[in-house]
Amino acid sequence: MTQLTQAIVLGLLIGGVYALMASGLTLIFGVMNIINIAHGAFLVLIAMVTWWMWRETGIDPIVASVVTTPLMFAFGWVVYTLVISRVRNAPPSMSVLLTFGFAMVIEGVLNVTAGNKFKSAAPSYFEESFRVGGISLPKAQLFGFLAAMAVLAVLYFVLTRTWTGRAIRAATQNPSGAALVGVGASGTAALAFAIGAATTGVGGSILSVLYPFFPASHYDWISRLLGIVVLGGMGSLPGALVGATILGLAETLTATYGSLAWSTLVFYLVIMAVLLFRPHGLFGARLREDAP
Amino acid sequence: MTERESAPKSTGPLRRIPRIHLIALACLLALLLYPVINPWEPYPQGVLLLGFLLAVQASAWNIISGYAGYVSIGHSMFLGLGAYTAGIMAVRWDVNPLLSAPVGGVVATVIAVAIGSVVLRTRGHAFVIITIAMLLAAQIIAVNARGLTLGSDGITLPLPFWGRDYQNIPFYYIFLVMVVLTVAFSAWLRRTKFGAGLVAIREDEGKAASIGVNTTRFKIVAYAASAFPIGVAGSVYAYYLTFINPVGSFAILGSVTIVLACLAGGRGTLYGPVLGAFVVNLVSEAANVYGGGDSARVLLFGLALMVVVLFLPRGLLPTVESWWRRRHPADVEFIDQKGALEARAARSGPDLPSPAVSRAARASDEAGAGRVLLEVRGASKRFGGLRAVDGADLTVRQGTITGLIGPNGSGKTTLFNLVTGGMTADAGEIWFDGRRIDRLRPWVRGHLGLGRTYQVTRLFKDMTVQENVVAPQPDARWRTMVAGAVRGHEAERARELLDIVGLARFADEPAGSLSFGQQKLVELAQVLMLEPKLILLDEPAGGVNPSMLGVLTGVIRELNAAGMTFLIVEHNIPLVLELCDPIVVFSRGRPIAEGPPGTIREDPAVMDAYLGEDFRLEPAGPAGPPAGEGVR
Repeated sequence: MTQLTQAIVLGLLIGGVYALMASGLTLIFGVMNIINIAHGAFLVLIAMVTWWMWRETGIDPIVASVVTTPLMFAFGWVVYTLVISRVRNAPPSMSVLLTFGFAMVIEGVLNVTAGNKFKSAAPSYFEESFRVGGISLPKAQLFGFLAAMAVLAVLYFVLTRTWTGRAIRAATQNPSGAALVGVGASGTAALAFAIGAATTGVGGSILSVLYPFFPASHYDWISRLLGIVVLGGMGSLPGALVGATILGLAETLTATYGSLAWSTLVFYLVIMAVLLFRPHGLFGARLREDAP
Repeated sequence: MTERESAPKSTGPLRRIPRIHLIALACLLALLLYPVINPWEPYPQGVLLLGFLLAVQASAWNIISGYAGYVSIGHSMFLGLGAYTAGIMAVRWDVNPLLSAPVGGVVATVIAVAIGSVVLRTRGHAFVIITIAMLLAAQIIAVNARGLTLGSDGITLPLPFWGRDYQNIPFYYIFLVMVVLTVAFSAWLRRTKFGAGLVAIREDEGKAASIGVNTTRFKIVAYAASAFPIGVAGSVYAYYLTFINPVGSFAILGSVTIVLACLAGGRGTLYGPVLGAFVVNLVSEAANVYGGGDSARVLLFGLALMVVVLFLPRGLLPTVESWWRRRHPADVEFIDQKGALEARAARSGPDLPSPAVSRAARASDEAGAGRVLLEVRGASKRFGGLRAVDGADLTVRQGTITGLIGPNGSGKTTLFNLVTGGMTADAGEIWFDGRRIDRLRPWVRGHLGLGRTYQVTRLFKDMTVQENVVAPQPDARWRTMVAGAVRGHEAERARELLDIVGLARFADEPAGSLSFGQQKLVELAQVLMLEPKLILLDEPAGGVNPSMLGVLTGVIRELNAAGMTFLIVEHNIPLVLELCDPIVVFSRGRPIAEGPPGTIREDPAVMDAYLGEDFRLEPAGPAGPPAGEGVR
C-alpha cells in the first residue's frame, strides 16, 4: 500500500513537471498551428546553461530559472522573428521540418561546445528527501514540482486575466476576427512563441536537476512531450496537464511494479491506446471537417 | 512536374518519351556499367551503394509524405524492422537474409498498417508526432526484448556466401535493382486512381472525402506501401553490414537523411527523391571525410534541413524544371472560355454519353420520377450559440431540379454540409435513397450517389484537369482504386465527362490555371465521375459570366433530362425561378415556404425573409412588380 502511494505521489510530482514542459508546446501549437520540434532542444539547451551556471557560480539550478526564463523569452522572440515567421503561411509540415532542423542545429552546437557526455546538476539537497508518514518526498522532485506549478499558475493567470493573454487566446480561436479588433496576428504569434519558449527556461532548469541529460536527449524529451500533447488534445492547456499527469503516473507505476526499462514504452502504449478510442485526444476539439 | 510529364502528351502523332525518363535511363545505364568498368574500387562503389539504399528509402517515403503529404519523421524504423527480421531469422533458423528480405518487407508493412489504423483515422498532426515516437519505441523494444533481439549487444549475421573476390558488387546490384523497382512501383502508383486520390488528400482532404475518396484507407495503404520497400531494403542492409544493434538500426539521423533527401530532390516528384538521395549521400560522405564524425553531421544535416525548408521548399528537381521551362517556353494554348463554348456548340444535341448518368438513369427507371430521393427530418446544427440549421425538413424528389433559396446566413450551405457529411448534425435524421445516412462518413455517402460542388470551387489546383476529374471514387472496391488514371477505362470516362462540359481540350492543364467559370464546370464533371443520383450545387452561378452560365444551365438541363436529380442553392433568383421546380425558401435555419416558382414569386413570407419584416410591397397583385426584380 505504501509502495503504491509512494508511486502515485512520485507520478504526480513528475506529471506536474511534464505539464510545465508540455504547456509551452501546446500553447505554440494552439496559437499558430506549429509543432515546435525544437522544444525538446530548448529544454536541453537550458539544462546545459543551468548546469554550467551551477558549476561556475554554485547558484541553485531551480533558482537559476529566474535568469533562464527571460533569456528563453528573448531567444524565442528572436527565433520566431528571424526563422519561424518565414514559414507562417507554408503547409504545417514545413514548420515541423524547419523546427526539426533547428533542434538538430542546437544539438550539434551543444555537441561541439559541451561535449557528448551525460551531465546532471547536483545541488546540496540532490539526494535528500522529506518524509511524510511512510512516504518519502525527494526534495529535488518536490521543488521542481512546486516551481512548475507556480509557473503554470502564472501562465494561466496571464492567459486568462490579462489583455495580452486574451489577445493570444483570441488569436488562437479566430485569427481573422482577432485582427479585426486590433489584435495583430504576427505580433501575437511572436509573443506566444516567446512565452512558449520561456516555459522551457524553468522546465530546462528543473530538468538539469531531475534527469541526466546530453545533447541528443532532446529526442526523448520531444517525443515524450508531443505524446502528452497528443494525449491531452493538441492545443489544449488543461489537456496537457491531464495528459502529463496520466503519463507521469503510468511511468512511475510501471517503474515500480514492472521494470524501469519498459516505463518509457508504456508511455507510448498509453498514447496509442487513447488514440485508438479517442482519435482527437482527451480534450481535443473535433475540427470542422469541411474547413479547407 | 515530373508526374505530369510522364503522361504521354496527346498532342503530336509521335509517342515521345519525356526527356526526364531518358536522362534517368542514361544514369541507370552508367550505374549498371560502373562496376564492370571500374571493378577494383570498393570505396566509390560503397558510396554509391549507400546512395542506392537512401534512394530506395526516399522514394518509398515519397509515397506517404510526398504524394499524400503526411510527413513521417520516423521512417527509418522500417529499415530497422527489416534489418531485425533478417537478423533474427538468420540467427534462429539460419535463413539467408536475401531469402528473408520479403519477410522483412511484410513485417514493416504489418507494423505500418497497425500504426496507421490508429493515427491516420484523423486529419492533421498526430501522425508526424507518432512516427517519431514509434521510432524511439522500436529502439526501446530492441534494447529491452533481449530474448528476441539480444538487446544492446546486437546481432551478428553470417558473412555473404560469395567469395571475397566479388567484394560488395552483388550488394551493389541488388540495391540498384531495388531502386529501379521502387521507382517503378512509385510511378505506377502515381498513375492509378489511388495515386490521384493521394494527391487529392494532400491538396484538400475534406474535398477528397466528398468525392468518394476513403481518406482513411488511402492514407493507411500509402503508409504501408511506403514501408514495404524499406523493410526489404533493411533486410539486405543487415546482410551487408553483418552486424546490427538497436541504436544503429533505429536511428533518428537515418530518418532525417530520408526526409532531407526527398525534400532536397523534390517532394512529390518521381525522380526527385533519387536525385536528392545522391546529393545528400555525397554531402554526408564529404562531411565524414573532411568533418568530424557524427556530431558535425548532426549540425550539418540540421542546417541543411533548415536551408532547404526556407530557401528551396520545392526541391531541386522542380526548381530546375521550372527554370528549364522558362528558358524553353512551350506553346501553351491561350486559355479562355471560347474553346469551351465552341466545343459545346460543335457537339450535336443532348446525346449524353451513358456513363455520365448511368446510376441516376437506372434509379429513375426503376422507381420512376417523383419518388422521394433525399429526405431531411428535423436536422439541427449549432455553432456555439448560433443555430445555423434549426430543425429543418427538406424533401428532394427523384428527377427534379429543386431550388433552395434564402438570405445569406440562413443555413443553406450548412445544410449541404450536413447532407454530404462535411459536418455532423446535432439532431435530426437524413435519409437518402431509402438509407439513413446522417452518421455515415462522407465518402460512403459519395459511394451511395451523393455528389456536391462548392460555393468557391475546391479543385485540386496543382493537379491537371484530367486528374481532377479522374480522382473521384464511385465505389469502395479495391479494383477501382488501382484502375489507371492516365490510361484505361476510368481515364476514358473522365475524358468523356470533360467533353460533356466542353473542356476536353484543357485536360492536361493545371486546374488552377482555368477561369473561375471553367473551374465550376470541371467541378461538375468531377462530381459526375462519382455516378451520382443526386447532385448538390452550391451557388453554381456565383461569379460566372453570362455566356458561361448558359453552358452551365444547358448541362444541368441535359443531365436532368437524362434522369439526374439536382438540389441547387443559388442567389440568382431569376435563374432559380427559370430552372428549378420546386423551390424551397430557407430563413433562419429552416424552410419557410415551398412550391413551384409561380407560388414562391408571390409568397409574402419570402419577401419578409429577404427584405426584412418592415419591408412591405404593395399587396401582391397583378400590378405589383415581380418579386424577383426587387430581390436582385
